[in-house]
Amino acid sequence: MTLEYVDAGKAFNHSQLSNLPHSAPDVTRGVNYERILQARSESQNWITYYGDYDGKRHSLLDEINAENVKNLKVAWIFQASATGMIASTSTYAFEACPLVVDGVMFVTGWDGWLWALDAKTGEQLWRYKHAIPIDVTLCCANVNRGCAVANGKVFMVTQNAQLVALDATNGRKVWQKTIGDVRAGESASIAPLVIKDTLITGSAGGEYGVRGHIDCWDLETGEQRWRTYTVPKPGEPGSETWPADGEAWQRGGANHWVTGTYDPELNLYYAGTGNPAPDFDGEVREGDNLYTDSVVALDVDTGEIKWHYQFTPHDLWDYDSTMEMTLFERDGKKLMAHFDKNGYMFVLDRTNGELQHVTPFVDRIDWGVITRDGKVTPRKYPDKEGEPCHFFPGPAGAKEWTHASYNPEHDLFYVPVADVGATATRRRREFKEGMPYWGAAVEVDIDNMAGSVSAFDSHGEEKWRHRLNNMPMAASTLSTAGDVVFAGTPSGEFLALHAETGEKLWSFQCGSGHHSSPSTFTVDGKQHVAVPVGWGGWLEGIVPGMSGQGHGAALIVFAL
Amino acid sequence: MTIAQDRESLLAELGGQNKATIGAVLGTGSIAKASERPDGTMEATIRIPEDAMAWEPGVLIMPHAGILELTIINDDKNTHACLLPSNGDRQFIGLLNHSKGTATLELDGPGCYWYGSPAGNDEGRGLQAAIVVTGEVPPEAKLDRPAQPRP
Repeated sequence: MTLEYVDAGKAFNHSQLSNLPHSAPDVTRGVNYERILQARSESQNWITYYGDYDGKRHSLLDEINAENVKNLKVAWIFQASATGMIASTSTYAFEACPLVVDGVMFVTGWDGWLWALDAKTGEQLWRYKHAIPIDVTLCCANVNRGCAVANGKVFMVTQNAQLVALDATNGRKVWQKTIGDVRAGESASIAPLVIKDTLITGSAGGEYGVRGHIDCWDLETGEQRWRTYTVPKPGEPGSETWPADGEAWQRGGANHWVTGTYDPELNLYYAGTGNPAPDFDGEVREGDNLYTDSVVALDVDTGEIKWHYQFTPHDLWDYDSTMEMTLFERDGKKLMAHFDKNGYMFVLDRTNGELQHVTPFVDRIDWGVITRDGKVTPRKYPDKEGEPCHFFPGPAGAKEWTHASYNPEHDLFYVPVADVGATATRRRREFKEGMPYWGAAVEVDIDNMAGSVSAFDSHGEEKWRHRLNNMPMAASTLSTAGDVVFAGTPSGEFLALHAETGEKLWSFQCGSGHHSSPSTFTVDGKQHVAVPVGWGGWLEGIVPGMSGQGHGAALIVFAL
Repeated sequence: MTIAQDRESLLAELGGQNKATIGAVLGTGSIAKASERPDGTMEATIRIPEDAMAWEPGVLIMPHAGILELTIINDDKNTHACLLPSNGDRQFIGLLNHSKGTATLELDGPGCYWYGSPAGNDEGRGLQAAIVVTGEVPPEAKLDRPAQPRP
């Protein structure tokens, strides 16, 4: 006799087994290009990655200020974690900057997660989980830096190089595009940027010998508007900086994996690019290797590179230049500041890329020297096969991807500084698609570390320094008009520093290290500060001496 | 030191519950391929045999990215569940003793995904299995460069 099966029904969304309302107010419907152009003027919200197109990470909110910040308390906590096997399991962490629109927070996590939260209470409103293969190639962690919002939608990239547009009221997918080749070693971690009626994204995977690119997508349909490769083909401008008879350009790196900034008057998108590949074996890619370790200024309508400036020509130390290009004005001049992994602060004329001046911003730099007028002289680099070479800063740089902020009232940049060295020993390997392509054995120092939040004026003069206890900074800073600079440390302290003096005004032990970007907003007229917390990411490169610190994953929101 | 030729006999020692170790050892199950309908939708059946505490097949191959319609059968005399990956949200189904249900999954490719039974220590005992999406990304997502050598 055959026994009939019990009907188990049809599998359903796991989030149905929760008290989630699965809906959020339609707050992003009215967010459009015009509003994002004026983002700072609505400082009650944080509607784009840096808080504004200029990358300053400076809020005009001042309810929380240098006088009362000592009274800051936890308003709510959102907790999340990883379950089961995920790609690069040991590395997952928040690296995002939370966006807030009229009382709703949108924050991305690792492994395809995006959450919509009530910004007043922390209640989870809906969530989206993209399925991420466990074998996807990641360099160097299972992370995501944030989302974009506009026209009723939320946009994010996924670790397996997809771009998704979600209905911001319920998290349901509206469209999806494949934006990279996971078999080639491409992935994605960048927060998309809405410009006009498009989205800008970039790729990750420089450590696998991919060819970097920046892409522009139609906001409503996901159709591609343009793609610009950041390594030129033979015959294209810049190709003369690669071996003429070789294949190096095909694997040249130069990935754009951190959101760029944008000047609407100039119609230019300023994209930082990553290291060349192989990272440490320069002999197989002789030349300057454009446009690696550069800022490229793209016409946002066409993707055409209008000008470029290369911070580390022929990089042999893994000195990506993907980090923020902060736009500011001085003496009526349109300028840009950039704190590079190579340990130097660069100020450029952002209309044409002309260098204004260069200044070191970390104590120990011995890989080479860059003069104030930009002349680069390498001194120490992995040269001979099998011969170890120790250098400062290590491959995570004097400042990793985590962002500086800029207070225009004080003309001060608040820089998360890392002072950690490393040893690279050149070990040549042949290129194979999808395999790590470093050209060296690399060991980052686990002792003799230092770090600080350091304040520099736009001329490069250091005005104050808040030293950490023998560890580097590994999280973004946030500047507010209340004369407070917020910064989280690897040991879990969330600090409030005085914007003019660096005096420590307040701190809170968050229970896990910081590796994200805090933001600030108001809800019901009350200012809040949000900081995603959790110790992960590329710790083996940034601070391996604290990679056993414990994990954690929580978003903590503070208010008076 | 074991050599490759011993694989089958050694796997036989590992196979099943409460033999070599307490549960089934990860990655030691069978392999099967989903079938494909003319419209590109794929379909397959996964099953928990009696007292196996493992999914059959242990590795399910999808020929390409897209929609997979699964039939899920629990032939065991115990209650289990199944939590599966899918774009949007993970898909959950409870599996009473001797029960049968379905799931519709959307997965990108290529890549390897896992699923399991989130009950007791079902996953550790062996109720963890893989869905492997084969193929390439769409042509428009490939890099503009000549074909590269692969391992």
